[in-house]
Amino acid sequence: MLRERLIDALGTDGVKTEPEDLSVYAFDAYTDGGRPLAVVLPRSTREVSAVVKIAREFGEPIVARGAGTGLCGGAVPAAGGIVISTMRMNRILELDVKNRRARVEPGLINLDLSRRVAADGLFYAPDPSSQQISTIGGNIATNAGGPHCLSYGTTVNHVLGLEIVDETGEVFTTSIDDSGYDLTAALVGSEGTLGIVTSAWVRLLAQPEAVRVWVAAFDQIEAASEAVSAIVAAGIVPTALEMMDSVIVAAVEAAFHAGYPTGAAAVLLVESAGFEEDVGAAESAIRAIVNQRGARYWRGARTAAERAALWAGRKGAAGATGRIAPNYYTQDVCVPRSKLPAALRAVEAAAAEHAITVGNVFHAGDGNLHPLLMYDRRDRRQVAAVVLTGNAILESAIELGGTISGEHGIGWEKRDAMTRVYTTADLAAMGRVRDVFDPRRRLNPEKIFPSGARCSEVTPP
Amino acid sequence: MRTATPPVAPETIDALATIVAQTDRAGGKISIAGGNTLCGMGLPLDESALTLSTLRLTGVVANESADLTIAVRAGMTLQGVSVLLAGQGQFIPFDAPAPQYATVGGTLAAGWLGPRRHRYGRLRDYLIGSAIVLADGSVARAGGMVVKNVAGYDMSRLYVGSFGTLGILVQANFKTIPAPRHARIFLAPLPERTRERAFAALATLPVPPSAAFWIDGFHNAIDGDDGDEGRVAVLLDGSEALLERATRELRSALGRAGVPETRVFDAGARESFQRIVDAYVANLGERSVTYRIASFPAESAPRALQAHELARRYGLRTETIVDALNGDVVLRVSDLDSRTLGGKIESFDDAMHELEPRAQVIACEHPHRIHLDAWGEAPAAVERMRALKARFDPNRTLNAGRFVGGI
Repeated sequence: MLRERLIDALGTDGVKTEPEDLSVYAFDAYTDGGRPLAVVLPRSTREVSAVVKIAREFGEPIVARGAGTGLCGGAVPAAGGIVISTMRMNRILELDVKNRRARVEPGLINLDLSRRVAADGLFYAPDPSSQQISTIGGNIATNAGGPHCLSYGTTVNHVLGLEIVDETGEVFTTSIDDSGYDLTAALVGSEGTLGIVTSAWVRLLAQPEAVRVWVAAFDQIEAASEAVSAIVAAGIVPTALEMMDSVIVAAVEAAFHAGYPTGAAAVLLVESAGFEEDVGAAESAIRAIVNQRGARYWRGARTAAERAALWAGRKGAAGATGRIAPNYYTQDVCVPRSKLPAALRAVEAAAAEHAITVGNVFHAGDGNLHPLLMYDRRDRRQVAAVVLTGNAILESAIELGGTISGEHGIGWEKRDAMTRVYTTADLAAMGRVRDVFDPRRRLNPEKIFPSGARCSEVTPP
Repeated sequence: MRTATPPVAPETIDALATIVAQTDRAGGKISIAGGNTLCGMGLPLDESALTLSTLRLTGVVANESADLTIAVRAGMTLQGVSVLLAGQGQFIPFDAPAPQYATVGGTLAAGWLGPRRHRYGRLRDYLIGSAIVLADGSVARAGGMVVKNVAGYDMSRLYVGSFGTLGILVQANFKTIPAPRHARIFLAPLPERTRERAFAALATLPVPPSAAFWIDGFHNAIDGDDGDEGRVAVLLDGSEALLERATRELRSALGRAGVPETRVFDAGARESFQRIVDAYVANLGERSVTYRIASFPAESAPRALQAHELARRYGLRTETIVDALNGDVVLRVSDLDSRTLGGKIESFDDAMHELEPRAQVIACEHPHRIHLDAWGEAPAAVERMRALKARFDPNRTLNAGRFVGGI
C-alpha cells in the first residue's frame, strides 16, 4: 500500500523496497544501522513534498540522506520509516558569478561545485575530507567543516538561504537577508530534524591569488601541538593548520607517497592563502615558531602538484589506515586551542589504557581532534575497548572545556552525551525549536536529543 | 526613546532572570534596553512595559587571548571589548554605531550588519556561545568556548537579530581574529559621470578594500570634500606591504574611472571610518527618518538614486550612504522641522515600500514613527517565526510587537 502510493508519486525507478536495496540504506559510516521500509529517490522539491505527505499519512518517520558519509549515524533510519535519498537532485540550478553565489540541489557533490565554478575563478570553501563524495545537503545537515574552515568558517558561514520541505510536506524558503529570525542558521546543522533541504543558495569565494603549503616535522608530538597553540597565540591564523602523528604519516606514505617525512613523531601541514604580500610574511613567522619548538624538518611545496599530493594524502588519511587494522572508529571532539597538548596526552593515555592503536589526524588550528581508533570488528574485546577509549576521550575533552562534536554531528551516536555538555534548560531551548518545526518527531527521530527517559526532561512545559 | 518607568538594571544574570520570571507570571510586559544606540530600529518600546536594562550586566567572563576567544556579559560596550582586544592584537568586526554606548547584547539582538562583513564576515559568525534568559526565567546556554561546535542546534546564531523577542541575551562568547595592523582611508569627490565606472572598479580590485562607500550629504558627520554629487570613501586595512600594493591599485583604478584627485590618510583612518558607521543611524532630531535597503553591489547605486528621486518628489531632502561592496543603501530623508516632516512621512513611507518592499527603518525619533512600516514586507517564513515566538514566549512578555510581522 505504502509502496504503491510512493510509486504513484515517483515512478518505479524512484522507489526501492527490495531487501537487498534496503540493506544498503540501513547504514551510513557509523557502526550501527536500522532498516527502512522504503527508500525513495526524488528528482524534485515537488516529489520530496509528495513523499513527506504520504509518510505523514502512514505515520512513518523520514530520514533524509545524502551520500551516507556521516560518522555518527545521522542518516541511519533508527526508527525505520522512509529514507529520502537526494542523490538524483544534484543540479546547479543557478550560477550568479557576478554576485558570487549559486543555487544548488542538496544531492550535488561538494567537490563538483568547486570544479564547476573554477573556470570563473571561484570555489566553494567548506571542504570536509569526504568532499569527493559527500553532498552539499548532507554538509548543510551537519554544518560540515574541513581543514580550511580555520579561516573560511564552517558550512553555516557559506549558506545564504534555503528551500525546505517541512514535516507536513509544505515548502518554505529562508534567506540570511530576510528580516526576522535567522531560520537559515537554525536549520544548518539540525541534522534533518527540522526539515528537508531541497535547494540552497551558497556563497562562492574568489580563488586566492597565492597559496603556499609547508610541512614541518617534530620528534615529539607534544612539541608539535605546542607549536600549533603558539602559532594561534601569536595571532597567526593560517588558512589551514593540520596535524598527523607517526602512525598516520606512515599509513599515508605507504598508500599515497604524498611527500611527508616518515619517522617523525608528528607532522604539521600548514597552508597560507591570500595575497602574495601576506603569505610570505606568514611563512617566516610560522617557521620561526616551529623552529623555536624544535622542528627538525621544514619544507615548502614547490609546485601545485606537490601541494595537491600533500592534501590528497591528508584527506585520504583515514582510509589509508586500512593497512594497520581492518576497521577504525573516528572520534570527533573540539577543545580550546591552548588545551591541544593536554587533549593529545589524554588521547594517548586512553588508548594505552585500553590497548588500542590510535592514529591522530586532525584540524589542529581549530583544536578539533580526530583520534582514529584502530580495531578488528570481529574481535569483541577490541570492539569493547574502542567504545571505552572513545568515551574516555570524550570525557577528557569535556573536562578541558571542549565540546562533544566539532564537525561530525551528534546524530544517533552521541545523543546521550548531550546531557554532559548541556543542562536540561539548554536542551529545552533546542526542544522548543523542534516543537515548531517537527512537533510529532517524525523527522529523523532518535537523533541529537537524548534517548529514553531523558526525552521527557527536555520537553519544556 | 523616553519611557514612563525608570529602567531596572540588574547586576547579575540571576537577578535579571528572577525579574523576568516574575513579570512573565504576573502577565507583565518587558522592554529590553542596552545602550539605546539602535533603538530607532523596529517599533518603539511599549511605554507601559517594564524597561529592563542590561547596562549593569558588564564584565569579562573569560579572556582566553591565547585561544583567540573571549566571553563577555551582554551589557559590556563594544568599545570596552574592542579596547581590550586591541591590547592583545585582536579584534571582532562589530562596526556598529556609537561603540562607546552600544552594548554587545544590543548589537547582537539587533542583528547589526557592519560594512566590513564583505571582508571579515558577519558578526554572527564570530559568536561561538551564548547565554540567554528566556521568558519563563530559565537560563539557556548554547555553544561554548571552542571555535567549532556542532553539538545540537545553533541557538546562538538564532538569537542574533531576534530583537530580544525570544529571550534576553546575557552573555556572548566570541572568537576573535588578529587585528589588521594598519588602516588607510581614501576620500575623493565622486562626480556623476565617474560613478558607475568607480563602482565597477571597486568591486573588482585585486585586493578588495575593507569598506567602500559613495556618500552624498552627511556633511557634518563625515570627512571629505563634497562635490555636488557626493564623494567616495574607501577603507583599506591589513599589513603594511598589502596596503602599499592596495593603495597603488586603488589609485590607478579610481584614476581610470575618472575620479579626481584623492585624499589619503592613515592617522585617524579608523576614526574616520567609525564616523561613517555612526552616520547610519544619526538623527536630525525629530526631522529625519533613515531607511536601509538591502541590495546587490551592482544594483545599489541605481536603487539609491531611485529612492532619492522618490524623496525629492515629496519635497524631502535626502542624504545617502551606499556600501559599494555589500550593496546596502542607507537613505536619510529630512525636512525643515518635525511638523513639516510629519505632514508627509506616512505617505512617503507607503511610496517607499512600494518602490522597495523590504526597506527597513533604522533610525527615527519622529512621533509618527509608530505609523511607519519599520520592517518592510514580511519575509516568506513569517508564520514559522510567529510560531517560534509563541513557543519561546507564549505570554508575549518580551519586546512584544516591536519586531517583524507584529512579533
